[in-house]
Amino acid sequence: MPIQVRIPVQLRTLTNGEEVVSASGKSVLEIIEDIERKYPGVKDRICEADGKVRRFVNIFVNAEDIRFLDNLQTPISDDDEVSIIPAIAGG
Amino acid sequence: MPELLEKYSRQVLFPEIGEKGQARLIQSKVVILGCGALGTVQADALCRAGTGSLRIVDRDFLEESNLQRQTLFSEDDVQKGLPKAVAAENRLRQINSSVRVEGLVADVNYKNIEQFVEGADCILDATDNFETRFLINDVAVKYKIPWIYGASVGSYGLSMTVIPFETPCLRCIFESLPPPGISPTCDTAGVLAPIVNVIASIQVAEAIKILTGNSHCINRKLIFFDVWKSSWKQYEIASARSEGECPACQVGRFEFLEGKEGSTVTTLCGRNSVQINQGRENRLDFEQLAKRLRPLGAVHFNQFLLRFNLDNFEIAVFQDGRGIVRGTKDPNVARSLYAKYIGA
Ligand SMILES: [Zn+2]
Repeated sequence: MPIQVRIPVQLRTLTNGEEVVSASGKSVLEIIEDIERKYPGVKDRICEADGKVRRFVNIFVNAEDIRFLDNLQTPISDDDEVSIIPAIAGG
Repeated sequence: MPELLEKYSRQVLFPEIGEKGQARLIQSKVVILGCGALGTVQADALCRAGTGSLRIVDRDFLEESNLQRQTLFSEDDVQKGLPKAVAAENRLRQINSSVRVEGLVADVNYKNIEQFVEGADCILDATDNFETRFLINDVAVKYKIPWIYGASVGSYGLSMTVIPFETPCLRCIFESLPPPGISPTCDTAGVLAPIVNVIASIQVAEAIKILTGNSHCINRKLIFFDVWKSSWKQYEIASARSEGECPACQVGRFEFLEGKEGSTVTTLCGRNSVQINQGRENRLDFEQLAKRLRPLGAVHFNQFLLRFNLDNFEIAVFQDGRGIVRGTKDPNVARSLYAKYIGA
């Protein structure tokens, strides 16, 4: 079953302005790859060329940071919500 | 003391603060870095709350477009062309003469930040760029000063409270600066006063907890708030402290404070321009940047260089993020324009 993914403003030009998109997959990586199929360019903005999550981007599954779970291999189940949170600059 | 307690009676009645908490607050010293939207709300609230001393540091001069959200300022201040730190100091003295207020006009950088925060019991972040926030984080961790991160743009914002070596620091959560040119800023994406007030108020509440001896009540999560979507969320970050390999609070390497990370600014002789070097490898997406800047002024770019014209200034940025701001010799003005429009 597809789950909901919150897209930050920085990436919404790639998702036709959508703030929440649905995606399917058994892990965070599969979710990102599914989003990439629908909205090409997103993965490159989240991950480095070597596949690791960029250092200024944080991905949470529900309320937990994936760096302290299983990173991109963190498993996803039906009711999970994934949020992509970059730091905010404004003041 | 009795007349002071009367002045702050509504706060003293709040049992977690009480007379004891108020007495501590009156003794405390707070430094607010930045005096724009977040900074004015914070300064106003902490001044009214009776904080012993408030030091406010900001590099900018007032503009008419500040008045929509920067609550301490008036049209009169704009007409006089006052620096924000000076206008804020004047106003705060009118609000509460018991508070020692000091407004300093300066660009906070790695050479001067230690002197600004010396003796502070708490630092509030009210800056408009990532670099200064990473610098605040370094200095706060190094000297074990609690600080409160807050940032807002558009209708949403983030906040987290850092008690060095007890809670995760900013670099435990955001490991590095994002490259310039990708993050929305208040000057490119706009900002609503209500979100500024929400984020600044969260920061003030956190400061009051710390200053009144209630550190055990602080927010230990990353708070995300959106006033337009009417949503808010808290993210767990506690494990970032125990499991991370943070350069600042685990390793003790203060790259921003040592000037190894972050930008350098050089005034270009005789050319009325200032160069800003990011000192990192970047690859700017000119296409995206142009899209954001076009509503605000003329934009031209080729594969090497993007030029953006705004009033009497021109900002030219190269692919690697290096920028040249024309129309000024003042590094403060240049840094400020770069942070506002390119975003760093
Ligand atoms: Zn840390």
